[in-house]
Amino acid sequence: MYVISLILIPIVILLGTATFGKQSYPAVSCAVALLACVPFFLTFEREKNTRKIVFLAVMVALSVAGRFIFAPVQFFKPVAAIVILAGMYFGAQFGFLTGALSAVVSDFYFGQGPWTPFQMFSWGLIGLLAGLLSSRLIRSKILLIIFGAFSGALFSLIMDVWTVLSLDGGEFNLSRFSAAVATSLPIIGIYVVSNIIFLLILSPLFGKKIERIKTKYGI
Amino acid sequence: MVKNLHPFTLFMCFFYVIFISVFTFNPMFLASGLIGAVLLLFTLDGIKSAKILLVYLLMIVVISITNPLFSHNGATILFFINDSRITLESLIYGINSALMIVGILIWFNCFNKVFDSEKIMYLIGRFFPRLALVFSMSLNFIPRLTAEYRSINSAQKTIRQSRIKRAAAAFSAVITRSMEGAIITSDSMSARGYSLKGRTHFHRFRFTPYDAFYLVLFTALFVLCVVRSVEICYYPYFEMNVNAFGLVSAISFLALAFLPFILEVKEALKWKLYLSRI
Repeated sequence: MYVISLILIPIVILLGTATFGKQSYPAVSCAVALLACVPFFLTFEREKNTRKIVFLAVMVALSVAGRFIFAPVQFFKPVAAIVILAGMYFGAQFGFLTGALSAVVSDFYFGQGPWTPFQMFSWGLIGLLAGLLSSRLIRSKILLIIFGAFSGALFSLIMDVWTVLSLDGGEFNLSRFSAAVATSLPIIGIYVVSNIIFLLILSPLFGKKIERIKTKYGI
Repeated sequence: MVKNLHPFTLFMCFFYVIFISVFTFNPMFLASGLIGAVLLLFTLDGIKSAKILLVYLLMIVVISITNPLFSHNGATILFFINDSRITLESLIYGINSALMIVGILIWFNCFNKVFDSEKIMYLIGRFFPRLALVFSMSLNFIPRLTAEYRSINSAQKTIRQSRIKRAAAAFSAVITRSMEGAIITSDSMSARGYSLKGRTHFHRFRFTPYDAFYLVLFTALFVLCVVRSVEICYYPYFEMNVNAFGLVSAISFLALAFLPFILEVKEALKWKLYLSRI
């Protein structure tokens, strides 16, 4: 499964840059972000466990519904926190899928655009990392706080890279990037704080809820 | 109406236009793509689109002006700001990339207007049926969860005074309930034979000869556009050489970019015509 991306990504990069040069960077990076998600999707298509499928739908729905529920407070979104929790408690692959699909589903409401693949990739990456670090994140609260802060910044920084790439027609202009980061600094701050708050509140609850469901339904 | 085309034909039309807009340097292409998109958005959305179009106009201005501030390539110097030169070529490049970005954004706006979630799910579902199921389930869950949150929250108003504590408690209750609901739903699905072999899906789209005709037309125009015959360079001097092929490809892109708009208007005109005959 993963071989498909390993072969396709270099081909897209080579073809795109060879025929269109710098102009192609934004489009090629979009395609690469999308292709990076494909192996996870293909593995998921083989999933036989119906419970896992429905659970994924619920986690995606929770993260997007959280956006509406907390909409009165601007930029205060539980999406990243729920993606991290999904990765922590259900594994890296599940975390990636929750992140990537949350991006698509929330863009059904807020508008699909060239930014969708980047949101998919960055939220997916956050879920994947949370899944890989899961046992340590569950044990240590400090690590959880650091990871929440890191993922809030990561999401904004990846989106800023994309903004700069698309504005300058493929030229990565460092001064423009620092200007973009500087303007988004307050938003990064809110993301970081909201991630930490949501994680601290939800993480102990989440573990308990899952234990409860496991004993109740005998999973 | 453009909405009534088969999702695949419609998707390919948007894909072709956006693909070319992303990769072209050609100002003729960019301008015709932008105008086609604006016309389409305006017919789809009416006067409501005026506000967003105004925002986009502002964006064009800002991007055009900021490019010369960040990039100092080019030979024709207009003036200096703080010892850094502002060049004509860089300004032209800025205008071009502004037209490109805004054009693509407006095309995506039209895409969101024309493609509802059902169409997107149909397209994804052909290759990723499980994923499409997850999409449609979450789209169903979202309004239900939000409503559930509201009702729990209003019930808790009598118990808890702090707004933050109330919100946290209600959200946590929603999480618990939705998790239990997921187990019950999935058991019910397996009991009814989900993921067994030989089951088909319902959808209401049919690929008609009309769709086939437009698909072929869009693809033919796309192939004509891709023939690269216009030489353009921005730095150090802005130059553009157009030959006969270039003209043909520019006209075919114009046709491609305007076709969705024409399709949209055609039906409305027909309707008016029939009404006037009664």
